[in-house]
Amino acid sequence: MVEVGLTIQPTDTGPAVAQGNRHILVTRDLSIFYGTVPAVQQVSLDIAEKSITAIIGPSGCGKSTLIRAFNRMNDFIPSARMEGQILFHGTDLYDDDVDPVEVRLRIGMVFQKPNPFPKSIYRNVAWGPAINGYKGDLHTLVEESLRRAALWDEVKDRLNESALDLSGGQQQRLCIARALAMQPEVILMDEPASALDPVSTAHIEDLLYELKKNYTIVIVTHNMQQAARVSDFTAFLDAGRLIEFGQTQQVFTRPKEKRTGDYVTGRFG
Amino acid sequence: MSEHDDHLRPNLARRRRNARLFRHLCAGLTWLAVALLAVLLIHVTRQGFGWVDLQFLSSFPSRFAEQAGIKSALWGTIWLIALTALISIPAGVAAAIYLEEFAARSRINSFIEINIANLAGVPSIVYGILGLAIFVRWFALGRSVLAGSLTMSLLILPVIIMASREAIRAVPMSIRHAAFAIGATRWQTVRHHVLPSALPGVLTGVILAMSRAIGETAPLVMIGALTYVAFVPEGPLDAFTALPIQIFNWASRPQQEFHQLAAGGIIVLLVVLLAMNAAAILIRQRSQRKARW
Amino acid sequence: MTTVAPTLTGKRRRRWSERGIRGVLFLFAVLSVLTTLGIIIVLARETVGFFREVSVFSFLFGTRWTPLLEPKSFGVLPLLNGTLMVVVGSALIAIPTGLASAVYLSEYASPRMRNISKPILEILAGIPTVVYGYFALTFITPVLKLVLPGTQVFNAASASIVVGIMILPMVASLCDDALRAVPGSLREGAYALGATSYETTTRVVVPGALSGVVAAFVLALSRALGETMAVTLAAGATPRLTLNPLESIQTMTAYIVQVSLGDTPRGTIEYQTIFTVGALLFSITLIANIVANRVMRHFREVYE
Repeated sequence: MVEVGLTIQPTDTGPAVAQGNRHILVTRDLSIFYGTVPAVQQVSLDIAEKSITAIIGPSGCGKSTLIRAFNRMNDFIPSARMEGQILFHGTDLYDDDVDPVEVRLRIGMVFQKPNPFPKSIYRNVAWGPAINGYKGDLHTLVEESLRRAALWDEVKDRLNESALDLSGGQQQRLCIARALAMQPEVILMDEPASALDPVSTAHIEDLLYELKKNYTIVIVTHNMQQAARVSDFTAFLDAGRLIEFGQTQQVFTRPKEKRTGDYVTGRFG
Repeated sequence: MSEHDDHLRPNLARRRRNARLFRHLCAGLTWLAVALLAVLLIHVTRQGFGWVDLQFLSSFPSRFAEQAGIKSALWGTIWLIALTALISIPAGVAAAIYLEEFAARSRINSFIEINIANLAGVPSIVYGILGLAIFVRWFALGRSVLAGSLTMSLLILPVIIMASREAIRAVPMSIRHAAFAIGATRWQTVRHHVLPSALPGVLTGVILAMSRAIGETAPLVMIGALTYVAFVPEGPLDAFTALPIQIFNWASRPQQEFHQLAAGGIIVLLVVLLAMNAAAILIRQRSQRKARW
Repeated sequence: MTTVAPTLTGKRRRRWSERGIRGVLFLFAVLSVLTTLGIIIVLARETVGFFREVSVFSFLFGTRWTPLLEPKSFGVLPLLNGTLMVVVGSALIAIPTGLASAVYLSEYASPRMRNISKPILEILAGIPTVVYGYFALTFITPVLKLVLPGTQVFNAASASIVVGIMILPMVASLCDDALRAVPGSLREGAYALGATSYETTTRVVVPGALSGVVAAFVLALSRALGETMAVTLAAGATPRLTLNPLESIQTMTAYIVQVSLGDTPRGTIEYQTIFTVGALLFSITLIANIVANRVMRHFREVYE
């Protein structure tokens, strides 16, 4: 155990995560290769329900590859190959029987660069539920999702306008609303604020505190302060390997590995 | 140092002169092509302009040049293009969707791609021979508009496929990923997001393919489009004639008046083509203004 | 504790309809393969029948082509000769002009000039071939007769000129693509050494784009090979072994049209000549296209 003097202080505010929260998303000795090049090596991770888990690490450490494996987005990369398991509520996500489309209905994703559909704001949020035969009231669902994404007040009068007319921060919140409309259990976020200005970033971070009450969130970020501010658990990856994983407080103030300490104090990466 | 200067200076002047001559030569030859186009259009217009009037558009061909018109050819072409569009557009776009969205990088699929590229270079008369043997004879469709449309569809299919593939490819991956991430299947993504975004490009390609089909004569000759037709087709199995066939027929006759009639037909044909290409350009421009990814 | 997981394997219906759609789309993609197969089978069947009556040797090397007149003779060389004359003639026009246009468009023309000339070239490419045939017959031939009094009413030269104009845009456009693909750094290197634009273009840029340029030529010539209506209208219906472009000749494509316009009953040897000559035409253009595509692929690899 290493004592380090910190330049970043993790916040003490925010509801503490109950130690008893079950782990709904679990990886066991997960390795992911692009061809023969390993991107993720032997990672074993337990994601706790209704918490925020941050994955941090230097560029190229495999965080994006890892998170994309959770909702089977790596399926679209022909050279990607996997070993090990990812279990969601005990079922291996990569089992032959499992339909990747179903996986993505339960595990949603928000991308680094906002990618709203070139359609109206309303259509962006309503499309997913509609094609899946949503039986309830679409209008209510759209409003609810936009409220949860803290976007409703800004767009309620212009739902039929093009989503591309919104600012970058608004587009990203729209993408979050779109993901929320599918009522997933888990939301994966791949550096959701890195393309945004500080004000929008702050909006999104505030959002995460609220979302945590109802959703399990896994967020990849290269912004350590963000990870420290927002998350309950932190996983530190370097060169594809999981160096350390634990409660955020502990990882940032009393890291068990020297490498972790070096990274969080900015000595490298 | 001065020795170098003596050797360099004469060369420079001559070389610069050569460069200027070359530049003018290239420009001149380019404008020659433009001039040839102008000559062609002027010649055709002068020959045929006097013949194009309402009577011309509404009469059937005749032994007597003054009474002859392109009514049957015009209607035949309309039937032909309508049926060809109905057949070739879904088939071509479907093939393009498969190749771009659903096909893995397998040997079979590269083979299909190479095949399409080769088909694009096969002479149109060979398609005519194919149409004759398969549609006219084997399918027993006779010398009908349907046989002609099927043959034309095969001819322009590679063009539609290649243009549609480019349009589909131009749609950014991020939109597809956004759709997949909320649990959409590949077809749902294509149907609701990729195709609508690719539509302008596909439409442009389709219009250009159709304008190629309108001007093609050789395949129609092969499948037996008649050259003297005094009626308008009433069903897909009727015999027919088409604008380019009529033009060809009139141009093949020795008399001067029939040559002028041919010129009249050419004017009508070119006007139709101009309208179609203008539409394609308009669509392309409008979509470029609208598209923001 | 309820498990959500089992439904991960549910919704079989969605999977099956997705598979069905994929299958239908695949069939349409396979249609193109069927087309090629169709062409090969259709041509081969009648050609085989033809070669039961006529020896391959006398077909490929015979010098008299009179399948419709007595005494019948099936030597295809006159038709090949006619086709080649038109192809060579059109090449003489289209290749230098097309390449020069491409050079102008990619190396010299201002964006404004480019925006005017490119659409005009596209218009030239879009004019139907029967219009070019008409132009050859009613304008070019009379002009030729004025300038060269020995010109016949139907002649190869007129058709060659017009086919040349027809394939010019193709040469220009493909060469333009090839020239633009040459990296700017190559040009800059030459200019930095004090070369003029003429020297840079002819000794650096064009050689650098050589495989693309050659592929463009081969593709355009293959298009000229298959050209039908212009040669039918302007070049004549007289199969003849001659090198004089002012005489009437007949190309392979024009012959096929001639037979089809006539009353040729099925099963006769005249009917079979349609397919045999068609097979010869198809083979030549196929080889030309394969060669050109292979050269183009090589050219693309070099820059990627």
